Amino acid sequence: MAGSTHVSAILPKEQGAEMRETLMLLVRAVKQDRLATFGIVVIVVLVLIAAFAPLLATHDPYVMTERVEGTALWVHGDRVEIEAGIAADTLYSVSADGPDSYFAAGAGGEVVRYDGTEWLPVETPATETLRAISTVEGRSITVGHNGTVLWLTGGEFEQVPAPTEVDLFGVSLTDTGAALAVGQNGTVLHLDPENGVEDWEPLQAPVQRDLFAVALLRADYGYIVGARGTLLRFDGEQLEEVDSPTFRDLHNIAIFDESAGYAVGERGTVLRYREGEWIEEQGALTRTLRAVAMVSADQVQVVGTHGDMMRRVDGTWEQVRTGYTRHFRDVTSDGETTVVVGTDPYINSLARPSQEHYFGTTHNGRDIYSQVIHGSRTALLVGFVAALMVTVIGTNVGLFAGYLRGRTDNVLMRIVDIMYALPLEPFAMVLVLLWRPGIHIIILAVGLLTWRTTARIIRSQVLSLADRPFVKAARVAGASPLRIIYKHIAPNVLPLAFLQLAVAMAFAITAEATLSFLGLGPPRLYSWGTILHQARLSGAWRTAWWWVIPPGVLIMLSVVSVFFVSRALEVIANPRLSRR
Amino acid sequence: MIRLIVNKLLQMLFTLWVILTVLFFLFRLGLPDPTVALVTDGLSPEDRALVTERFGLDRSLPMQYVVYLGNVATGEFGRSFHYNAPVTAIVAERVANTLVLMIPAFLISYIVGPLLGVLLAWKRGSRLEAGGITAGLVFRSAPMFWVGMLLIMLFGIRLGWFPTSGMRTFPYEAAHFFDKIFTLNFLHHLILPTIVISLYYTGLPMLIMRNAMLEVMGEDFIEFAEARGLSKARIMYRHAARNALLPVVTQAAITAGLAVGGQVVVEVVFSWPGLGLEMFNAVRTSDYPLAQAAFMLMAAIILVLNFAADVVYGRLDPRVSYSSEGAGG
Repeated sequence: MAGSTHVSAILPKEQGAEMRETLMLLVRAVKQDRLATFGIVVIVVLVLIAAFAPLLATHDPYVMTERVEGTALWVHGDRVEIEAGIAADTLYSVSADGPDSYFAAGAGGEVVRYDGTEWLPVETPATETLRAISTVEGRSITVGHNGTVLWLTGGEFEQVPAPTEVDLFGVSLTDTGAALAVGQNGTVLHLDPENGVEDWEPLQAPVQRDLFAVALLRADYGYIVGARGTLLRFDGEQLEEVDSPTFRDLHNIAIFDESAGYAVGERGTVLRYREGEWIEEQGALTRTLRAVAMVSADQVQVVGTHGDMMRRVDGTWEQVRTGYTRHFRDVTSDGETTVVVGTDPYINSLARPSQEHYFGTTHNGRDIYSQVIHGSRTALLVGFVAALMVTVIGTNVGLFAGYLRGRTDNVLMRIVDIMYALPLEPFAMVLVLLWRPGIHIIILAVGLLTWRTTARIIRSQVLSLADRPFVKAARVAGASPLRIIYKHIAPNVLPLAFLQLAVAMAFAITAEATLSFLGLGPPRLYSWGTILHQARLSGAWRTAWWWVIPPGVLIMLSVVSVFFVSRALEVIANPRLSRR
Repeated sequence: MIRLIVNKLLQMLFTLWVILTVLFFLFRLGLPDPTVALVTDGLSPEDRALVTERFGLDRSLPMQYVVYLGNVATGEFGRSFHYNAPVTAIVAERVANTLVLMIPAFLISYIVGPLLGVLLAWKRGSRLEAGGITAGLVFRSAPMFWVGMLLIMLFGIRLGWFPTSGMRTFPYEAAHFFDKIFTLNFLHHLILPTIVISLYYTGLPMLIMRNAMLEVMGEDFIEFAEARGLSKARIMYRHAARNALLPVVTQAAITAGLAVGGQVVVEVVFSWPGLGLEMFNAVRTSDYPLAQAAFMLMAAIILVLNFAADVVYGRLDPRVSYSSEGAGG
């Protein structure tokens, strides 16, 4: 210990000066080389992106983003046409106001009117969600949450004082001016045309369940449907519960005349009214049905969630393929033209790049920009850890093989040869086959296999160093091989080792992307390769260019930047090259 | 020369033995119960007994190892769970499919690459050189599977110029392998994946060749050739290039090894029914015998390619010693 004090007192100073000089050389080399400057800038930006990923990401990369939008769907025979974005939010109800004229009401008190050419917003004083609208001969009534009731008379909507505090879900108006409104917890409100538009009279309902829809044929004939199969008959004054063939929620009802009616509900439930009795009928759909409209006793249209639609023609139900997956809320039809409105939140799948999603969305509505941003962490982290492992193993093998020579060198270089015969991707596959996909498999595969190049390069450098005077001097002074290797030779191969670290990192980033692309990476962690893996699995990659291009460009940018920088550094690390 | 070849051959066999041993113990480590790796569910008791006997599963670990080596030597890899057929028959065809894609792509890279490298060295300091270097590095940085996806998207789907998957358009009839590949339809399928692989691998030999050329060009015999009044092209491509070729050959041997592994992604992207795709599917279906055999064959291909490169190297340079070039992995 005492003997080494003298030496170590001098060495750090000398090494410090040398280090500073090397650093200056580095800076100059990078500055002179435009590509290297570009590389440094890109690397710094990528590291910053990875560091601040949660701040930079606009969405949670795992969440399926949904979109809400008012949509109208026109059906003329077999022709389906969609008009998206006619309202900012969900439209819950539509009613015809004569030929080629429609009203639709929805969330946020929004009402839109179709005037024969286009949908236009109508001013309303309401802010609550409007759940139902009913129009007869130029008069409209719409009801909604928190007892909201609006009348349209003379082209303007007017809000009347809320007759109740609960949410109203359904309303029906007759040509005589009588109306029924239904809502939460068995609420039924009756309007007698002789009492004026504000004087709603609560009716005693025989059930406490939520009531979702009402259909009046005349002032003294109508039906109400609600939760758990509730069916109520209205006779002009009183409500009476009728036998229901189902326990499922009924969402909508339509009455054509005293002998024909339909109600629809959960799980494709269809009830038909015939000869004084409600009977269950086999429809053509199995998911929730939201609304029913009748053109005649046997011409019926039904819509539901996920773009479902069916119609009854000549006594049988047939599915109408709309080609959309949006949720429909209401339907009205005059036989020739059928108008459907709706769109609950739907998954915004495979959206093209936009203000909202810079790189678009995946097939299940995940934000690709946020995935790419978060993916930079995995790529750089795995790249760095694996490269560090490669450099540590490779440098040590190179040091020992190069300095000890002889049998050690032979054995170590034989191992290197064997390493060269193991293909990386298949080796990682074997590991995944035997254990489980994960980040450690990738690091392990890259780290255990690819130190071979580093080992060879360091070894050849050490071979030339081992005969230099300062090594010989150390050996004569009686220093142990370990001491000579780590104290005297290692500092001299350090620049080369750092260069190899950079090259190994470029290789490790590519390897990580490749292995993740093959599905060998961590299943719940995004990396650039994983994103491309999922794009391939979904099958959408063949057309969704916005899903494929960004992660690949980032892989390419990060790897090429490392190449650019390492080319500039090569000159310093390996002075042999400088004369080129 | 003969001694060298024999020596290299022995080294190759030794390496193969080490790899087989590593694989054996890796499988035993990952699957303590070897019957899982060899016996699929729903096998009749007689078949089970047969497999147990053939692979010596009822004997001790060292004996199992001996039986395993014997089986590999005789080409007995067991039955594929997925295909319920002997693994050997399955992989034999896949190897041919892999080679028929890999060899042309590799040849293109290592013929075009060095030629371009000579050009870059010749046009030293020009825009062409700077552009060539940048392009080479960029193409080496773009992952092959990604470039494949882009090319499929553009030329396969958008423009419809090339088929996007497989080796032949289904359905087709082919009596044997050569019947299958000597068709225009096959060439049509071959173009895109070959471009993808070549783009990736051309950069490295090009850059190495350029560096080696610059080194050679400073030597006396070049000046002498110039003094003799030989044309620049002749000096470059005949005199300098020949002497600069050694590091490229070294790199070819190393890259061949990398390419066998890298081939997997290309086969997956293009649904090319080669060894890599088969291994990929075997891993997904936990088809242990098939995955094991596919891996061994890939290692064997690398060894044979390395051996070939060694022999070529020996012919080019009688001193034969590995020099080191920064291959990255």
